[in-house]
Formats: sequence, C-alpha cells, structure tokens
Amino acid sequence: MGKDAARAEWDNPMQFVLSCVSYAVGLGNVWRFSYLCQMHGGGGFLIPYMLMLVLLGVPLFYMELAIGQKMRLGSIGAWRAISPYLGGVGLASVVTSMYLCLYYNVINAWSFWYLFHSFQSVLPWAECPVNSNLTGHVEECERATPTQYFFYRETLDISGSIEENGGIHMGQALCLLLAWIIVYLFIVKGVKSTGKVVYFTATFPYLVLIIYLIRGVTLHGAINGVKYMFTPKMEQLANPTTWINAATQVFFSLGLGFGSLIAFASYNQYNNNFEKQAIVVSMVNSSTSIFASIVTFSIYGFKATFNYESCLERVRLLLLNTFDLAEDTISLESVNHWIAELNRTHPEQFASLGGRLETCDLEAELDTAVEGTGLAFIVYSEAIKNMPVSQLWSVLYFIMLLLLGMGSMLGNVIAVITPLSDLKFISHYMSTKTLNGLVCLFCLLLGLGFTTRSGNYWFTMFNDYGATFSLLFIVLIEVITVCYIYSGENKFEKDVEDMLGHRLNWYWKIMLAGVSPILLIALFLFYIVNYIQGGTPTYQAWNKELGKSVVTEYPPYAQAFIGLLLASSVCCIPLTALYTYCKKRNLASGKRERTVSTVSA
Amino acid sequence: MEEGCMINSHFLGISLFMRCLRMLVRILVLLYLAGAPALAQTLCQPNASNGYKVRISIKTALGNQAYEWNENEMFLFRATMAFAMRRYYKTETYNVDNIIMCNQTLRVSFWFVVTSPENSTMLIPNADVEKAVSMSRHRINNAFLLTDRTLEFLGIHPTLAAPVNPDTPPWLIVFGVVIGAVFAGIIALLVSSLLQKRRKEKGMMEDGQDEEDRQMKGVENDNVLDGIYNRGFTDDDRFTKL
Repeated sequence: MGKDAARAEWDNPMQFVLSCVSYAVGLGNVWRFSYLCQMHGGGGFLIPYMLMLVLLGVPLFYMELAIGQKMRLGSIGAWRAISPYLGGVGLASVVTSMYLCLYYNVINAWSFWYLFHSFQSVLPWAECPVNSNLTGHVEECERATPTQYFFYRETLDISGSIEENGGIHMGQALCLLLAWIIVYLFIVKGVKSTGKVVYFTATFPYLVLIIYLIRGVTLHGAINGVKYMFTPKMEQLANPTTWINAATQVFFSLGLGFGSLIAFASYNQYNNNFEKQAIVVSMVNSSTSIFASIVTFSIYGFKATFNYESCLERVRLLLLNTFDLAEDTISLESVNHWIAELNRTHPEQFASLGGRLETCDLEAELDTAVEGTGLAFIVYSEAIKNMPVSQLWSVLYFIMLLLLGMGSMLGNVIAVITPLSDLKFISHYMSTKTLNGLVCLFCLLLGLGFTTRSGNYWFTMFNDYGATFSLLFIVLIEVITVCYIYSGENKFEKDVEDMLGHRLNWYWKIMLAGVSPILLIALFLFYIVNYIQGGTPTYQAWNKELGKSVVTEYPPYAQAFIGLLLASSVCCIPLTALYTYCKKRNLASGKRERTVSTVSA
Repeated sequence: MEEGCMINSHFLGISLFMRCLRMLVRILVLLYLAGAPALAQTLCQPNASNGYKVRISIKTALGNQAYEWNENEMFLFRATMAFAMRRYYKTETYNVDNIIMCNQTLRVSFWFVVTSPENSTMLIPNADVEKAVSMSRHRINNAFLLTDRTLEFLGIHPTLAAPVNPDTPPWLIVFGVVIGAVFAGIIALLVSSLLQKRRKEKGMMEDGQDEEDRQMKGVENDNVLDGIYNRGFTDDDRFTKL
C-alpha cells in the first residue's frame, strides 16, 4: 500500500471521536432542537427523534465512516473507487460543503462581534441609544426592542430588501477575517493540528453548558420554561410534520452527506473500531441536544417570566396613575383582581384607558417559538442582559457559540480540502499548506459578500436552500450505491469484516439495505412536494419604519439563483457519470484502433 | 351718683364700639385670609394651562426606606421649586408663597402653579417653569432622594445623558488583542516549521548515500514508476472454505 503509508493519521482514536463530536455538536443542537421540541409537543418530540435516530441516523453515520476508513480517500476519490461513474457523488458533496463553508463562518463572525462587544460596562444591546438632540431614543429602536435594534442595525446594518445592496460592514468584515485566520490556523498542518485543537473545541462547550445549566435553573422563572418544554403534547405525534422534522433534524445534526465524516475517517487506522465509535458519537450528539435544550428552555422561561412581570408592572403603574391610588394598594399579584374591580366601580374612566391596557399572558410569552440564527442571537442576548453580572454570562455564552461553530467549521473545511488534496494534479503543484491557505482565502473573499448590507438575506437563502435538498439526494444515492451497486451487497460486508474483524450485525444489514433508503425516499419526496406547494419562496425582510420583519417574495433573479444552488450540486452526479461514460467509450474505441494497427503492421 | 352713671354708660358705649370694631377687623382679616386661599385656589387648578402635574413614587424608589409624604415634604417641594425659580431668573425675589399646590391625591400626585413675586395673581408661563425645572432637575431629584423616573413632571421630558463616545470603540481594542495573539501564533508556527525543516535537512545530508540508493531502484527506462494500490484486487482467498 505504497501511497497510503504516507497518509497522515490521527494520533489516537480519541482524536477521531472528538473531532466527530466537535463537528456534529454544533449550533443546531443548541437552537434548532429546542425550537422543534417547543413546536412539536415538548417531551413527546423525543419519541420520533429517537426512532429516527435509530432507523436513519446511526446506520447512515456508520456507513459513511466505513467508506472513509476503507477507501482512505476524501469523498471524490472514495466514490470514484467504489464505482467510476459515481465520482460525481463526491463532487456534489464537495460543492455542498463549499457552500456551507462560505456562509457558516459568517455566524462565527457574528459571535466574535457580540463577544467583543460584551466587554463594556453596559451591554450595548441592553438599552436604546439616545437620538441626536438628546430628547429621546432612536426611533427605530423604540419601535422594535434594543436587542433587535442592535442585531439588525448595528451588527448587520441591514437594508430593506434583498435588492438594496450596500457597502461592506467593516466590523463584520474584520470579524470574518479573524474567523478565517483562526480556521486556517486550526487546519494548517492537517490532522496533526486539527487533532490537537478538537480536544478543546469538543470539551469546553460542555463545561460552559454545565455552568449555564446551573445558572439557568437558578434563575427566577426558569421552572416555567422547563415545565413547558417537558409537558408532552401527545396529539402532536399524529402530525406528519413532527416525524419529518425529527428525521430532518437527525439527518442534518449528524452532518451526513457533506463528506466530512468520510474525510475524518480516511485518516483512521485500517482496523479502527468505527462501529462502537459511530454509536458513541450519535448518542453523544443526541444527549447534547437534549441537555442543551434544558438550558435553552430554562433561559426562555426566565425571559418569558421577566417579560410577563414587566408587563404586569406596566399595567400596575398605568392603573395607579389613572386612578390616582396610593402606591401600595395594587401589588403585582393583585393586578388582575384590581382590573376587574376598577372596571366595575369606575367604568367610564376605565374605558378611557382604551388600548393602553395590555393583556399579560405567560403562556403567550412562552409560545413565541424562536428559531434560526438571527432570532437566536436576539433572544439569548435579551435574556442575558437581564441577568446579574450580564457581561460575564455574555462572554461565556458567545465563547461557547464560537467553539461550537468553529468545531463544525473544521469539519466543513476538511470536507473540501481532503478530496482536493487527494487529486493528483493539485498535490503535484502545491503543498497542503498552500492549498489550505488558498481555500481559506477564496472562501473569505466570497464570504465578504455576506457582510454587505443585504448580506443577511443572501445568508438566509444559502442556509435554507444551499444544503438541505442536495444532501438528501446525495445520501440517497450513497445508500443505494453502497448496498446495491458496490459489486453486490456482499462487498460492503466483506470490507467491514476485513476492517473490524467480525461480520455485520443484522441490525446494520436491515437498516442500511431496507429501512433507511425507504425513509430517505419518503423525506426526499416530501421535500419536493413541499417546495412545489409552497409557491414563490419568501424571506423575512426587516422594515425600518415598522420595526419588525415582513414577509417578502424573492425577486426573479434571486429565485433563479436558488435554482442554481440546488441544481449545481445535484447535477454533478449525472454529469460526472456521463463524462466518465464518454471517456470510457473514447478509451475503448481508441484501444480498438491501436489493436488493429499493430496487427496490420 | 348721676355723673358716675353717665360716665359709666359713656365708657360702656366706647368699649362696645371698640369691641365691634375689633370683631369687624377680625372678620375682615378672616375673610381676607379665607379669601386669599380661595383666590389662590382659582389660580391653581387641575389641567390649568400654566401648571404642571407632579407624580411621585417614593415606595418604588426607596422600598423599605420610603419616607411618608406629609405637609413637611410639601413645604420642601415648594422651597425647592422656589430655589429652582431663583436659580433660573437669577433673582432673590421668589419665595415659598409663590408656589401654589392643589389637588393632592393618595398616589402622591398634585398640581402646582408658580405666581410672580411682584403680582400674586399673575402666573409664570409654562415655558419658563419648564426651563427652570430642567435646569435644576438634578438638584430637585436629589432633595427627595428620587430619580427622573420616580419624580415625574408630566409634560417636562428629562434630558437624557449624552452618550459617551470614546476615541476607540472598546470592541476594537478587544479585537486588536485577539488578532495580535492569532498573528503571534502564526509566526510561532512558521518559525517552528522552519526550524524543523532545517533540522531535517541536516539529517538528510548525513544519510545522503542511502537516499541515492533508494531513488535508483524506482527508475526504469527513465520513467519513475509510481505504484498505485489496485483496489480491484481483493484478498478473497481468505474466505474460501477449502
């Protein structure tokens, strides 16, 4: 095995496991899982989630690790080795990973921005800034909230729609530059440097999560949030969207189809026990999701209770001021009683209150489901600003976000670099260090487009369409290939037995050959149907005058770009197959000619 | 005897007259005193055009250490307002009598108007009162241990503190520190890899002979042979039963 002996390797299997954990445990575990739990009936969501993990997630994870470890090449080389016509699968993975690299580091840039702004005596998103003549606060901030204003105006300087471009936000650009330099530092020496970094990026977030858990459950009102999350609403299980969302969450949380897992596993030793490791990493990923959602919900509970009590306080003051009652007549608990009382005794005066009287509802506050990158920055920073010693908590939180994001970025970038460095014509011309630097520079320059004033809208487009659909297609082709095309079903079994020393369990066989492909096809069809039924794709545009987001349709050129995003990665598969077929036919016909000429000569 | 009786009745008449006069004066004084507040009352009315409503929230501001709002506190308020008017007009003519308050409620809110020291029936216009209050707002708040939010003059907006604009925004300083550390890391990495290369070169020169031999073996017909692992080759022999 001449070339393979020179291939870099992890120092020990622990580094491999930690790098998989660091890659899989990302921002989605903190935000998206909590959101899905909230949307689909709290504790009851765990049932479809665990089921999908066992049926879909773990077998596919196992398969990708097996391929990477056997072929010892990145995704392009690995799939080309399995079947020359399917090198396109690897290429599609690389293209999708490239899209992910472009926009994912922007989240890290935002985390850096928030982190740097946490070192102030008053957090900048705690209060509205005063306007120019010092009479009041800035209007946009008054209509929205200070945290929203800080995110949309000071962090992004967002424009009104995707068509209105603007200049690059210098602060964001600097943070993005910093993020890419750090990513380069982590990967510059290949797995030697990555292997050491993941000790930190995989473990430190857990430390912060534990600290936050202790802080979170001791906050006033946290119990409301945790109770809300764990109260199962079993009727949600009848909703098919619940199952689909569970499958999607398992799928994307484990990072299947990007080629990162194949790349990581390709640096393994040949006889590494990846079966145990696959189960361990999947379990760690899921339990982190559940653990993080407890933290998230205790913080949501705190925030909802805080808002509810502020609302009650405002109503109390309004009643005191309108009816000129002494300060201690109405307490927070008796507000509702007094509303009824005053309505009875002074009906006309009460009617004059009109719209100023707010209804305060704790359930409604908890029900405001929040998801997605921007919203999560806004909601968490709003909760943090109300905590005592908020600067400390802010710093801790954003460091945790950074580590989670950086860990996932490592996987994304390695998924792009490993297949490229395996290609002969690239490795002939430049060293790995130069290749790494070029890839990072290229992604940085293109990523600057996401730091413009309309950049966040392009970011959302990439986030929603860049990876979701193509991944399903890629993994579907992968499973079908491995099970049915790779020289018959037994070939994969023999490879695994070769590496592990024991035969494939019946569980893996049934899942990989039957259940997972069926579930994948179902998911795939659902996505297509949903996309067609959804009509024109829309996005949330920030309206400055209203101080909130409005639903806007994408302009035609943006819709064309979405189509391009989807097509560019998916088309790699059939196009590469076609190209290989043509090349083989030319080669075959060329050989025939040569044979004829030799005989005649 | 008759002369004494006549003088007595004369004295009686005069004392009666004096008594009546005194009573009249007392009545007039009382009327005046009663009338003055009545006059003042007509000057100070809720929703008066030249008055302001004040709302005080002592318990919100001070919690357990809240003091009770009584006549003395009202007096302090009038004195503070007179001080504010003096400070604004830069004269010494304002007095507590010039601040008239009315419509006090349990909330602790009341209306007040300011009369001119020269003419007690003339009110100082709103705009001047507002400017005077704004100028001495900080002193007024501190006299009562309250803040802009807990001692409200309805209609007079507190001037917000000017934002502190440091020369370098603080986030840039932290950014500079972090990126400096990162560049230091890069330089350390480059230096260490350079040192490693130099050490390897020294090692290479010592076994140069073996290097040549190894290289010779791979060359044939001027082509360097590159061995490629043939993946099609499977070691199936292991699995055959025989």
